[in-house]
Amino acid sequence: MSSAPMTCAEVRELAPELALGILSGAERAEVVLHVNGCARCQAYVAELTEAADVIPQLVPELEPPAGFEARVMHRLGEGERRSRRRWLAAVAAVAAAAMIVSVTVVRVVESNDDSQSALAPPTTTVHQRPVQVAMEGDGAPAGWAYVSNAHGVAVSVDYGIPAGSYGVRVEPASGSPETIGTVQVDSQRGSWTGRSEQALGPGSRIALVDASGTEVCHGTVPQAE
Amino acid sequence: MSDETLVAGLAAGDRDAASAFVQRFQRRVYGLARTIVADDRAAEDIAQEAFVRAWKHAGAYDARRGSVVGWLLTITRNLAIDAVRVRVPLAFDPSSLLGLDQPSGERSPGDHAVLADDTARLRAALARLPEEQRRAVVLAGLLGYTAREIGEMEDIPLGTAKTRIRTALLRLRTALVDEEHTE
Repeated sequence: MSSAPMTCAEVRELAPELALGILSGAERAEVVLHVNGCARCQAYVAELTEAADVIPQLVPELEPPAGFEARVMHRLGEGERRSRRRWLAAVAAVAAAAMIVSVTVVRVVESNDDSQSALAPPTTTVHQRPVQVAMEGDGAPAGWAYVSNAHGVAVSVDYGIPAGSYGVRVEPASGSPETIGTVQVDSQRGSWTGRSEQALGPGSRIALVDASGTEVCHGTVPQAE
Repeated sequence: MSDETLVAGLAAGDRDAASAFVQRFQRRVYGLARTIVADDRAAEDIAQEAFVRAWKHAGAYDARRGSVVGWLLTITRNLAIDAVRVRVPLAFDPSSLLGLDQPSGERSPGDHAVLADDTARLRAALARLPEEQRRAVVLAGLLGYTAREIGEMEDIPLGTAKTRIRTALLRLRTALVDEEHTE
């Protein structure tokens, strides 16, 4: 972005519009960029968002047409099959990208013998399962990223991202922001797998950025379970 | 079963939880979609899609960031706003969509039972706002009108539209916080 970073005062002017979900494009990206790095503005936006989110809740309830629930459940059944395939593909890709699946570690983890587990070296059980990261763009779900062993990365978006080419930018919790690849989005869908040289521990961010450097969606690596 | 437990069930792919989730929220989701798009068929499509999205992204729900119903209705609202491509000038007060024109004395007894809820607090706070601020914040928060669109519709400068939106939301927030503190 060519302009100077926004100040807290500028961000607070725009915070209500961000909370109401009506800020678009570059302004939104600039505000979000500031808010992500400023705890006080983050708390301020969170308070306003809490109030804004109640407004849609005031709308009176209305009985949907007969058979609505059955039609939704039918669609969930279809989605389940598709999304499982996608998830498995993403997990397989991450495992391949990370190139580290230790059979011996899995044996130790699966052992029911507590004394044996307690004796296992503590450093070998880190993140055997990929950590799932929800990606959001413009306040709506945009897709998922998966991080395996803090370095393997898979990104899959399936909603709301215009067609185009986007950089995969990582911001490690401790480290410096870096673009590690490019994802092509077509008909709102796109995926990418690769590797981050810097470790992506809890609190690290993953974002897709357009040619101007504006984030179109992002997610934060959660604490491992 | 709590709303949060149902979402955890959704995230785990539990169809019984999904069914209970749909039953619990379908009237709210459909009511919101129908209110925004003003068309039965489009409202059903949006309501269905909202549940599909909720099911797909249940794992991303974070209770620290808001209630389940707030999360689900935000998904619904955003889908509905995307579906309404053309903005037409409203010939009515958008606040009427929220039933705010109902004087508080005429509310049903059931409403008093939920007066402690955020929704009841916000409803009261909205009713106290000057009409132009109420219109602005409802146009933005419910129908997704941007400040520029509100300015054009109300025939006021952009800066005035932004001020109305900001002042209204800050007052709503203050009402929620103050009433929490005085309980």
